[in-house]
Amino acid sequence: MSLSFPFPDIEWEPTQGFWEAASRETLALPRCPSCGRWDWYPTGTCGACEGVETAWQDLSGEAELFSWAVVERAFAKPFADRVPFVAALVLPREAPSVRIPTNLVDCKVEELRVGLRLRAVFRGLEFSGVEGRIVAPFFAPDA
Amino acid sequence: MGQSESENEWGALVPHSAEARQVAICGVGESEHTKASGRSAVEIGAEAVERALEDAELDPEEVDGIMFGMGMGPQFDAEAYRKHFGTTHEMWTSNWGGGMAWAATAPSPAARALAEGKAQTIVNVFSVAWASERNSSPAGAHAKFHIEEAHKANLEVPFGWFPQPVYFATIARRHMHEYGTTEEQLGAIPVACRRHANGHPGAVMRDKPLSLDDYLSHPKLVDPLRLEDCCLISDGGGAYVMTSLERAKDRPRPPVRVAGVGECLSPTGGHWSQQPAFTATPQVVSAPHAFEMAGITPEDVDVLTLYDPFSIVALMQIEDMGFCPKGEGGAFVEGTRLHFDSGELPYNTHGGLLSHAYVLGISHVVEVVRQLRGEAACQVPGARIGVYGGYTGERASTLVLEAIR
Repeated sequence: MSLSFPFPDIEWEPTQGFWEAASRETLALPRCPSCGRWDWYPTGTCGACEGVETAWQDLSGEAELFSWAVVERAFAKPFADRVPFVAALVLPREAPSVRIPTNLVDCKVEELRVGLRLRAVFRGLEFSGVEGRIVAPFFAPDA
Repeated sequence: MGQSESENEWGALVPHSAEARQVAICGVGESEHTKASGRSAVEIGAEAVERALEDAELDPEEVDGIMFGMGMGPQFDAEAYRKHFGTTHEMWTSNWGGGMAWAATAPSPAARALAEGKAQTIVNVFSVAWASERNSSPAGAHAKFHIEEAHKANLEVPFGWFPQPVYFATIARRHMHEYGTTEEQLGAIPVACRRHANGHPGAVMRDKPLSLDDYLSHPKLVDPLRLEDCCLISDGGGAYVMTSLERAKDRPRPPVRVAGVGECLSPTGGHWSQQPAFTATPQVVSAPHAFEMAGITPEDVDVLTLYDPFSIVALMQIEDMGFCPKGEGGAFVEGTRLHFDSGELPYNTHGGLLSHAYVLGISHVVEVVRQLRGEAACQVPGARIGVYGGYTGERASTLVLEAIR
């Protein structure tokens, strides 16, 4: 099954592990089994160890807020029902060199600050006027 | 400056030889800059080249080299040139020209072609019809790449962390966190650009004034950015004609020489989210190289134009090029320092991408040339050294131009 814009192609090999983990309500990132380097954005092989394939590792889902933007106006029709929403980059606790694009949920915009502790929450990703639904990792303040 | 010495987290210097200093610009031209015009980029490019040739007082057959950009759809190339002007002559061609970062670096391959005798007079052209092509992609023609590139499509787009205004709002927020930059400080940039556009007959926003109070009273588009922090979407283009320094001295227009070229390429490609120096640009490496080649320091610059898709991109480049210490850009741009008549750092004196037209940097170079000839609409008195800073995110470039009097 292939979903159209703005859904991801969950079969695309380099990020397949990310979306497969999300379907089990887990955050996962690819890592080199040899040197431990995170492979992000995923390419399938380690950037430092020639020819070594990276493997997906499940994470705790704890993260901190790196930066964010409040999208007040939709740039494409499928997002029209969603604005305003918080688009953010977050740093997972186990891999702070990695920035994951996501949305913040269950939060007050005026309480957001860099370094805010977050946890992954798994919700359905849906778009108005676009068929389909998949589970995606969003982040919420860690109360 | 060796490549290895200048590698930093931003990537590596792209070498450009001082041979570029043998190039001069002897003509400039711009098309009409408009909202959706219904014209193609090729037609718009033709108009820009026609006007550049007119300015240089050259016949079409006298231009034997043409440079344009790649990857941005059909451009006004050699075939289009011959068809438009009804000529059959041979032309040296290069697609290492056009706008964005390449509007600054085109003199480098041009210098080689001139030195090797492959051409004597070379036009660099760039044009775009993104206002007319708005519906060619779900979030506009300018967002097409950002929707289609696979990592973005599969990791960024599903979360609405796209297109460009969202990237740069996130960067602006982080800059505010790291350095205490404020919305009022950011607003000084669009206000300066608008004032310049109000004085420029070819600017799209010529008739629309903008005060800092107006700016602050307008709603956010992507908090912390307002609509005024973001570039226009336009149809338009420009061109400049290059020849050897020696030949330029015999041309009718006051020659403007290339004094320095710099360029730096980041390893993260077009993925803004993963750039290690999140609140900086590759100007950190590019500008010092170009300034060294030109034998200048930032204090010597009389007029500065920067590729400014967003106010924050201008602010970061001002810091990264050494006009003020890193992190102090906010306080530096406050008030009227960037205005053409400030006597300090006249910046984007045509209005830039924010208020002149979104023609991706080609008009920035045209404006610097006009300033150095003393014929700009918002003229900086006695301007002798002008700089254009180009930017694409993964790449920054720097062009130093100097008036020959």
